[in-house]
Amino acid sequence: MSLSSIAKLAGVAALVGLSAFAARAQTSGEPIKVGAIVSATGAGAGLGVPERNGLLLAEKDINAKGGINGRPIKIIVEDDASNPDTALSKANDLIFGQKVVALLGPSLTASTVAVGGVTSTNKIPQIAFTGIGPAVERQRKCVAHVLPPQRLNAQALLEYAKSIKATKIGVLHDAGYGNVVMAELKPLADKYGVKLVAVEKFEIGATDTTTQAAKVKAARPDAVFIIATSATPFRNVKQVQISQPIVAAIGSSSYEYVNAMGQAADNIVIPEFVVGEDPLPHQKEFVELYRKTYDGTPKNYEAAAWDAAHIIAAAIKKAGPDAGGEKLCEAMKAPYSGVLANYNFAADDMTGIPIGSFVFSKLVGGKYTRTPFRVAQ
Amino acid sequence: MTFSLVLQAIFAGVTNGIVYALVGMGLSAIFKGSRVINAMQGEFAVIGAMTTVLLLSNAGWPYAAAIAAGALTGALLGAFIEVAFVRHMARKNASEDSFLLLTIGLALTLSASILYFVGRDGHLLPPLGGEGVLLVLDAVIQFHALWLIAIGIAATLLLRAFYHRTTLGLSMMAASIDADGAATTGIDVGRMRTYTFVLGGLLGALGGILVTPLVAVDYTLGLNLTLKGFAAAVLGGLTNPLGAAVGGITLGLVESLAIIGISSSYKDVVAFSVLIVIMILMPQGILGRAGRRGG
Repeated sequence: MSLSSIAKLAGVAALVGLSAFAARAQTSGEPIKVGAIVSATGAGAGLGVPERNGLLLAEKDINAKGGINGRPIKIIVEDDASNPDTALSKANDLIFGQKVVALLGPSLTASTVAVGGVTSTNKIPQIAFTGIGPAVERQRKCVAHVLPPQRLNAQALLEYAKSIKATKIGVLHDAGYGNVVMAELKPLADKYGVKLVAVEKFEIGATDTTTQAAKVKAARPDAVFIIATSATPFRNVKQVQISQPIVAAIGSSSYEYVNAMGQAADNIVIPEFVVGEDPLPHQKEFVELYRKTYDGTPKNYEAAAWDAAHIIAAAIKKAGPDAGGEKLCEAMKAPYSGVLANYNFAADDMTGIPIGSFVFSKLVGGKYTRTPFRVAQ
Repeated sequence: MTFSLVLQAIFAGVTNGIVYALVGMGLSAIFKGSRVINAMQGEFAVIGAMTTVLLLSNAGWPYAAAIAAGALTGALLGAFIEVAFVRHMARKNASEDSFLLLTIGLALTLSASILYFVGRDGHLLPPLGGEGVLLVLDAVIQFHALWLIAIGIAATLLLRAFYHRTTLGLSMMAASIDADGAATTGIDVGRMRTYTFVLGGLLGALGGILVTPLVAVDYTLGLNLTLKGFAAAVLGGLTNPLGAAVGGITLGLVESLAIIGISSSYKDVVAFSVLIVIMILMPQGILGRAGRRGG
């Protein structure tokens, strides 16, 4: 860690500390404790670190605005090191040791499924930073999700393809995240009148996908979908000179990947939610506050965690801090307009994000711009 | 399947193969000289590449100087590991498995250090010969990949000449084949082992620097390279660094041809099935015993 980043961290810590102090001036009484589990280290750190930033910012924001009916909120953030077993033991500690009223997170699907077992049997409301995963999650009616289900991500890709009249699509996807989205994409493609002319897979962490990219190119698609969590396929499609429009799933939207794309980060469209460089009106306050606090531009995961914290605060405000899990669960199912999207946790997928919440960003010379395209509700 | 697609697969296979070969050659040079299976060979590549990246982009060094410094860092790291760890363990007659555990531990430590000091981000280096590509019958190969292949082949030939033509190379071979015999003729066996690690570090770093314009280097790249390099080295015959070159290119080609021949979903299944068959038919590696003698 460089000296400047240590200084930055110290600055953030000081700000958070100061805000807690400032909050004490406005709020009083015992803090209301909410637990949070993120993957701050390990393979999921690319998600967990931004989520932690979003949570701490939300805590500061909620307390600065008078807390929950005058009482401050305290978000206790724990790291699961990207490991579901660790997530489970942290959840047990937060729920039974620290007596939190609700749980936010975790960052990864496997951890979410593991933690959901505890929260749903003990009627503790949970808002996960994942899209809904395996079938068992549909029965857990008190585990909500602030990121879209993979079916919606697949739909967003197809909506954009439809808008540019692309009917022949080539796909490059990885064997993890890409596989899951692909499973939803295949049955949907027919409905959109889209033919998948080449579907090429590569392993997670692959360092070269040029042969797969060449195979996609040889199928002469109208557009290419890339569903991955790495920069490699993006560089490779440019290397084999694929000139068709490239549409990438939200998994590749972090600055980490965009920076690693180098010159290939150009002319790529991503259906996502927050374009910090050009936020929608209702996202501006969050983006400004984030920039002031962290000296960086937020993306989707920061916003998802921010929304989760605000939703639970609103639910506690409505039901009362001592209402108990079941009432809190009902309270958080009210429709909510967040920074990332509009949610309705009463929906079947425990998310309720409409496809109209997507914005479509375009990478131009390594920088995000927001395109005017939106899907009509 | 069109001809240009096959050609594209061959380009990709040879390019990747040379990278596997450089990592594998370093791995087998170290094994040949010290009987240590070096599970941190890929970390030499990451350290070499990261040093070059930092000197070039943060310190503003000229590219050639940054490359030289990156390669040298790999060599010095190799020397350090021999002097600081391997030497002491060898003195106490540590077994091969203890050395394996040592290098696995070092690999994890180095990867974590890079994460801590440099961060999670991937870094690219400017391609040699510019961003351009060569178009052959609708298949493309980057100028940089051509440089990578040329430098890789040159390194292989130089390594062969070094082992066969130079006193130092011959001494290193002698020390590895029969340490006691070499010692009686006045060869400093311990020092030869240090040089072996220097050579391994140099080759690994060179591979890392050369691959970084094609694949962004980050803290996770090392393990990936070690695995491919190890497969290349075993395939060619672990005690023969030149075998690793043959093994690396074979592995790269089998992988990329499997993608176009069968399906990208089964790429690894096909590639590793072929490797298993090769190992059953030629258990001593592709170059076999003859290759071992020649080194």
